[in-house]
Amino acid sequence: MASALRVELESLLRAQKLDRTLTTNTCAPVARDVAATGLRALDQQLRGGIPRGHLSEIVGPRSSGRTTVLCRMFQAAADRGEAIALIDTCDRFDPVSAAASGVDLSKLLWVRECGDAPRALKALNLVLQAGGFGLVAFDVADVPAVARRPFPYTTWMRIARVIEGSQTVAVVVAAEHLARSPGGVTIAFDTSTETSRAQWSGIADRARCLRGIELRTRVIGGR
Amino acid sequence: MRIPSYDDLTPSIPDITARETFDEVRKFLSLSDPPPEVDRHAAYLSESSGLFACLRGGVTHTAPHASPPFLVARDFSPRIERHGASTVVLDVSGLGRLLGDAQAIGAELARAAAGVNANIRLAIARSQTAARLLAIGCPGPAIADTDPALAIAPLPLDTLRVFVEDDDRHGAATAARIAATVDRLDTFRRWGLTTLGEIAALPPGDLSERMGQGGLALQQLARGIDRTPLVPDPGVPRFIASMELEWPIDALEPLSFLFARLLDPLSSALERADRGAAALRLDLRLVDRTVHSRVLQLPAAMRDAKVLRTLLLLDLESHPPSAAIDIVTIEIDPIPGRIVQYSLLERALPSPETLATLTARLGALVGERRCGSPVLLDTWRPDGFEMRRFAPASSSQSPVSSSQFPVARSDRGSRTTDPGVSLNQEPAMRRFRPPVAIRVVVDRGRPVRVAIDRRGMPGGQVRCAAGPWRTSGAWWDAGSGGWDRDEWDAALSDGSICRLFHDRRNSGWFLDAVLD
Repeated sequence: MASALRVELESLLRAQKLDRTLTTNTCAPVARDVAATGLRALDQQLRGGIPRGHLSEIVGPRSSGRTTVLCRMFQAAADRGEAIALIDTCDRFDPVSAAASGVDLSKLLWVRECGDAPRALKALNLVLQAGGFGLVAFDVADVPAVARRPFPYTTWMRIARVIEGSQTVAVVVAAEHLARSPGGVTIAFDTSTETSRAQWSGIADRARCLRGIELRTRVIGGR
Repeated sequence: MRIPSYDDLTPSIPDITARETFDEVRKFLSLSDPPPEVDRHAAYLSESSGLFACLRGGVTHTAPHASPPFLVARDFSPRIERHGASTVVLDVSGLGRLLGDAQAIGAELARAAAGVNANIRLAIARSQTAARLLAIGCPGPAIADTDPALAIAPLPLDTLRVFVEDDDRHGAATAARIAATVDRLDTFRRWGLTTLGEIAALPPGDLSERMGQGGLALQQLARGIDRTPLVPDPGVPRFIASMELEWPIDALEPLSFLFARLLDPLSSALERADRGAAALRLDLRLVDRTVHSRVLQLPAAMRDAKVLRTLLLLDLESHPPSAAIDIVTIEIDPIPGRIVQYSLLERALPSPETLATLTARLGALVGERRCGSPVLLDTWRPDGFEMRRFAPASSSQSPVSSSQFPVARSDRGSRTTDPGVSLNQEPAMRRFRPPVAIRVVVDRGRPVRVAIDRRGMPGGQVRCAAGPWRTSGAWWDAGSGGWDRDEWDAALSDGSICRLFHDRRNSGWFLDAVLD
């Protein structure tokens, strides 16, 4: 009797699309729509890319490669002909280096905020509710935890609900784990500081040049 | 008594032979006077009591129905004909009783043209052709209420070339027509002719022998003769709605209902005419007798009343009127409606209506200059870019990758943690605006330690550094802020990789960006 009631309750939740927290499997696997990041090795880790219609996150310390991966995702989305949006909470985005890495800036809607995280969150909500964007990034990497405290508890659930079922990839860029919808993924970067991630060319001081950053990524989640 | 027959009742018809008929006709023809030579030009002018004005503006990028000459002309006459993008001819014949003679009409037109702040040339003549030629050839207002041929006689030959170039009604044939006109004008110059009056004085028969009908057509233009009557532009209704309020309104919420009431019929009218709004003009007459005007240039032709109302309200939130509102007037500049062909191979972009509303909302939230698309400037200045309106263009290429299609996963529900990979990528930067002042310990010309007084900022021993790279510019322009600095890339002990620079003008060190 109890199992029958449970099955009935779960079927009701699935009918209302509230089944994300259910632990039981459905009968048939559901097709998953993903957006490639443009980095082949990372896409293999992600089994094709970042899932659409879900809130994912890129977390890592400073200089770990978060913005580099984000720019590659911008480039891949623009190459697919999608519109992209960046809500930049601390006005850190550098269009010069992004354009040098191949991002089509004409497809980028850049919302520049000066550290006001609640207002940036409102901007994110407006962009997501407008719809039609292939990739929407919310950069709170340099926002201190104190400034994120005014966010209501239901903030991320509401955002995940807004994009659920859409073709939009929503990505939060943060220094530490912040939010992810149950179907989303977390791209976590190496947090160790013992070895430098910088890749240099040249040995002598005068001849040295920064060639790149080693990205050490780890993927968490994804159903 | 004899009963009359039918033949008795009908008159007798004399027998006329064919020869007699021919003689009668010949006699009539020989006796009749030859028809007099009619001066058709003079007859046309005597029959026509027309008076035409021409308004000619500079090159604009607005829609033809929104060009300054058209906006001026439509306040004077409904009979307007467009010639090209910036020239209109209007029939001002009936304005004599209202405004006065041609001089008075010209003065009123000149005053209206000055009101739109556009460089508009004005000419009034008895024919459309003469008015257009005078507007081309005379920089100031030209009023010619006499014989148009005399008025345009001193104009140079090149006015004819501009005249033909303006007339783009012939579409693809225009280029050939212009080329033929230029050839004929060159021939006139070789003959020693310099003005339209000299062309008008040529014998038409001889001109036709040498140049054919094209030469005669040019001569008719040089005489100011209209080859076609004025054809008024048919579909130019004004999309305007106004409402005078019984009680002044000083809040945005009631104004929203008012906008809906005005915009709904306007939107329906636009739909019936297959037009969209290119610009939205809002005039609010306030209780202090001033007019609060706002003009919204829309990114694409749109006619959705809800979108237009939202845009107006968001604009008024940013630019509120200074007093309560008495009269609300909304006018729409129409352009042909959008025809959108969607592709099955491209992802749909946000519609212009959605983008217009979104950018207006974002502009009201964070500021108009803080949202949009960055555009790089042609400069070596660090962080050289400017913000433009976000308008993504649909790309024709759309490589369909496998990641665009749904991928069936059999392991749904499994929570995974991958071991991780390493990639080498050129880093992107996270820039500090403005650069952060830092303290740097320098040893033998190289930074060895970085310290920043603010919390949460990078700092520590410099593990490895590359530089300096010197860059400078704008030293000749003190007002715009030149730069002169040595840049370093430094890996710090806390794991940060930073772009530092030493400002050579004030010997200070700054943190420009973090490479991430």
